[in-house]
Amino acid sequence: MTFRNAVQETPDLRGAWRPGLRALGTDSRHVAASDPRTIAGSVNIEECLKKSRKNERQWDYAVGHKPSNRRTEVVYWIEVHPAYDHEIKVVKEKLNSLRNWLRTNAPRLNEMDSDFVWVASGDTSFTKGSKQVRRLADGGLSFRGGVLKLPARFEEP
Amino acid sequence: MRLQLKNIGQTTDADIRFGDLTVFVGPQATGKSIALQFLKLVLDIGHVQEEMTRYGLDWSGELPRFFDAYFGEGMSGLWRQGESKVSWAGHTIDLPRLIGRVRKNKVESAFYIPAQRVLALRNGWPRPFSDYSPGDPFVVAEFSEKLRVLVEREFGAQEALFPQPSRLKQEFQDMLQQNVFRGFDLRIDRSRPQKRLVLGPEDHPLPFMAWSAGQREFVPLLLGFYWLMPPSKAKTRGTIEWVVLEELEMGLHPRAIEVLLLMTMELVSRGYRVCLSSHSPQVLEALWALQRLIAYRGSPQALLGVFEAPNTARLRKLAETVMAKRAKVYYFDPTTGTTTDISELDVDSEEAGGDGWGGLSEFSGRVNSAVARVVANARRRAEP
Repeated sequence: MTFRNAVQETPDLRGAWRPGLRALGTDSRHVAASDPRTIAGSVNIEECLKKSRKNERQWDYAVGHKPSNRRTEVVYWIEVHPAYDHEIKVVKEKLNSLRNWLRTNAPRLNEMDSDFVWVASGDTSFTKGSKQVRRLADGGLSFRGGVLKLPARFEEP
Repeated sequence: MRLQLKNIGQTTDADIRFGDLTVFVGPQATGKSIALQFLKLVLDIGHVQEEMTRYGLDWSGELPRFFDAYFGEGMSGLWRQGESKVSWAGHTIDLPRLIGRVRKNKVESAFYIPAQRVLALRNGWPRPFSDYSPGDPFVVAEFSEKLRVLVEREFGAQEALFPQPSRLKQEFQDMLQQNVFRGFDLRIDRSRPQKRLVLGPEDHPLPFMAWSAGQREFVPLLLGFYWLMPPSKAKTRGTIEWVVLEELEMGLHPRAIEVLLLMTMELVSRGYRVCLSSHSPQVLEALWALQRLIAYRGSPQALLGVFEAPNTARLRKLAETVMAKRAKVYYFDPTTGTTTDISELDVDSEEAGGDGWGGLSEFSGRVNSAVARVVANARRRAEP
């Protein structure tokens, strides 16, 4: 299953797949790939779900990626958000909403191996090695500073 | 103040502009310690020559022999004739010529606390300079000698070395008591023919070899701080303007490192220019916090909060003074032999060594990414 196919088989996201990082608009500056050809497209999740799930805070983006060490594509679920202590609760809420939605409404995407990533939209109030970041990691969320550098490889989780 | 080193040992091009507090980071054997010893040399060359002569070290005016005596045996190859160059404040220093004759100016302006400071104590007493072999680094022997003079002359008939109210703020003593000495006192035991430093009460003294590794590392450092904080009203000691401190964190628990960082800030607030080398992410985290607090006009109390230090008027004053100072951080790059100014401590820097703060936070970043991925995908797979 490719990222593009999984998006197309998700009713909530129909027609939302964009090539490269185009769905991220100006936020594409927060994502970098050593080889842009490995990016398998992107989707603006918040834009797609804001009407149908308006009572929930929505995750920002999904980016498909073809790692060099795997046959199948993987998904980076990216939230571009201010990186302050008091925002941790907000981002966790968004992550829970995303997971619920994936489980109930996006089974194809949910089958794909993924990274859930918080990218700082501006300045950062905690370091990569801080206790806050460890707590996020323990909840399955990876904080990557201001730019997510898509690594060539995606090791088996 | 700017120090430039070219083609010296493993360093091809180091260019360092010092702040009030300067930190060197980088993997092992990248030239940090050599750069620090060069700093001492360019500042104190006359004093170094005088001390070496006083203790019978002879270099016959030759640079290789001088290097073997100053940096330690086997270090004569650091300098490559015609290629190596050292500059201070933008002026090239003609080192071979300077070493060739004894300087008139013998003023000492840098106090050096070496990484090998645990060697300064033997059987619980500071070793004299003459106890070292000619192949031992000068900065180690000199530090050791200074501790010996401090303990023998300045503490005289006193017994207690810790607590020591005349040298250290009460707040520091309380924090050290809690995090390093854990209820023990440090004192001079004169009950035996040979004096020695011991921990604990008179009836059950703990000799040097029974101390914890951290305590053995810490006591020479504490004595070094005592040397720099005279009991008089003077803020600094004599002509000393610079403090060089190698690997502040060595052998210590993070809580003890916190206290030492705060004590290092005390040195900066007294007016010393302090230069550290470190392998501890904690040191850079503290500097990062300091810079962010300055940038966002944080309060002195916020800085004290970083160290869980008591919110007293004296410490607030210290924090306020430090927040008006300038910190610099340099990364020593093992692949290029150069230095990079990473003072911004930008978590997203693309500069060599900037991302991961000179390699000190790379591991934490990898740990968190690996755990987050495994947790997220395990949950996804377990879901019905």
